[in-house]
Amino acid sequence: MPNIIELKNVCKSFGNTEVLHNIDFAVEEGEVVVVIGPSGSGKSTLIRCINCLEMITTGELIVDSIRIPDEQGRIRQIRLEVGMVFQQFNLFPHMTAIENVAFGPSKARRMNKAKATDIARGLLDRVGLAEFEHQLPGQLSGGQQQRVAIARALAVSPKVLMFDEPTSALDPEMIGEVLDVMKSIANDSGMTMIVVTHEMGFAAQVGDRLIFMDDGRIVEEGKPGDVMKNPQSERLKDFLGHVKHH
Amino acid sequence: MDFEFSVIIESLPALFEGAKLTWYITILGIIGGMIFGILAGLGRIAGTAALGEKPHGIFIWVSVLIRYISGGYVELIRGTPIIVQAMFLYFAFPMLVKAVTDIERFRIEALTAAVITIVVNAGAYIAEIVRGSVISVNKGLLEAGMSLGISRFQLIVHVIGPIAIRRMIPPLGNQFIISLKDTSLFIVIGVGELTRQGQEIMASNFRALEIWLTVAIIYLMMTTTLSMTLRHFEKKMKMF
Repeated sequence: MPNIIELKNVCKSFGNTEVLHNIDFAVEEGEVVVVIGPSGSGKSTLIRCINCLEMITTGELIVDSIRIPDEQGRIRQIRLEVGMVFQQFNLFPHMTAIENVAFGPSKARRMNKAKATDIARGLLDRVGLAEFEHQLPGQLSGGQQQRVAIARALAVSPKVLMFDEPTSALDPEMIGEVLDVMKSIANDSGMTMIVVTHEMGFAAQVGDRLIFMDDGRIVEEGKPGDVMKNPQSERLKDFLGHVKHH
Repeated sequence: MDFEFSVIIESLPALFEGAKLTWYITILGIIGGMIFGILAGLGRIAGTAALGEKPHGIFIWVSVLIRYISGGYVELIRGTPIIVQAMFLYFAFPMLVKAVTDIERFRIEALTAAVITIVVNAGAYIAEIVRGSVISVNKGLLEAGMSLGISRFQLIVHVIGPIAIRRMIPPLGNQFIISLKDTSLFIVIGVGELTRQGQEIMASNFRALEIWLTVAIIYLMMTTTLSMTLRHFEKKMKMF
C-alpha cells in the first residue's frame, strides 16, 4: 500500500523549546497506527502537525501527495482528507447533534442541506445515536458527545482519521462505547487511523503498528503484540509498567 | 411642600419632543456604534489565533497595521471624555477644516455632531466587548472547525459569531444604556434632547422638583425598554 502520510526529518519547536526532534514517520493507506508515550512526549504535537493545526518548523510533511511547507496554500485540502477527534470532544455547543455532523459536509464539501443531513443521520445511526439527533451537546453524556464528534469527523469523508486521546476525558464506564465505535470504523471501513491513546487493549486488538514516543522522538515501533511483550528500551518497559498497573 | 402635578402635565409635550430626539440619537448611535465596534473589535485581533488561522506573507503586515489602527482608535476614544469629543467635533473640527482646506463655511449640525459622537464613542467600547467575547470562545472549537476543512470566513460566521454574540448581550446592554444616558451631555452643543428640554422648561418656571423628576422617569422608561429588549433577545437564543 502507498504511503498516505509521510514526515521527513520533521522538527517542531514552540519558541525555543523543540518538542519534536527529527521525526521520520510514514503511514500506509488502511493502516491503524497507535501512538503511546508519557505526557509531554510529543504524541499530540505529532498528529496536530499532520493536519497543520501546528505548522512544522523544519523538514517536510506529505499528506495525500500535498507537500508542506511547499504547498501551504493547500492546508484546507489536507484537513478535508485528515479528520480529527479531540480529547475534549469540541462539539459546537450551539448546534444539535445532527447539525454538528451535517456542518462539515454542507460547509466544507458544499453539499446541499438535505443531502448533508441525510449523511449526518446515517452516521449518527452508525455510532448508535440515531434517537439523539436533536439534542444539544450539553444534553449528552461524555461518551455520547465523543461518538457525535467521531460522526462529525467522518461526515466529510476523510481518507485518514486521527484521534487525540479520545477516551482520556471520559468516565470509565463510557470508554467502552467510544472504543467500540472506533473498532468498528477500523474493521468495517478499512479507514486509515492514527490513534494517540493509553488504551493498551485497544492498541493490541486493532492496531497494525504501535509507536512509542518519548521526549519528542519515536523510540520504538512494531507490531503491537511484539512491542508490548518485548520492549527493548528501559523507558518503554517503565512506561508499560505504569500503564498496566492502572 | 408645594408639588404641582399640573406643571408635569404642561411640560410633557415638550419633554416628549426631547425624548424623541434622545431616542433618535441613541438608536442611530447604537447602530453605527455596533458597526464601528464590530470592525474595530475584530480589527484588534486580526491575524491572531482567536480568529482561526494565522496569516502568512504580506497578510502578517496587513493584520499588524489593522491591529494598530483599531487599537489606536479604541485608546484615543476611551482615553478622552465624551463631552470633550462632542465639543471638539462641533466647535473645533470646523476650524480645523477651515485651517487646512479652503472650505470657508464648513460646519456640522449639532444633531449630526451628537450622532457621530455617540457612534464613535460607543464603537470604541463595543470594540472591547466584541474582542473580549471573541477571544473567550474555546479555541478547541476553532480547531474542530479547521480540522473539518472549514474556511476561516465560515468559521467566523457559523461558529465564533453565534457563540460570541450570546456572550456580548449583557455587556452590550450596559453600553446601550450608557450611550442613551450620554446623549444628555449634548446639552452643551445645544441639541434639544430630553435633558435640554427639561433645563429650558425649568429656566422658565423654576419647578425643579417636578421637571427633573419627570425627566428622570422618562429616562428610566427608555433605559428599561432597552434592557427588556436585550433580555428578550437573550431568552430567544438557544441556551447551551
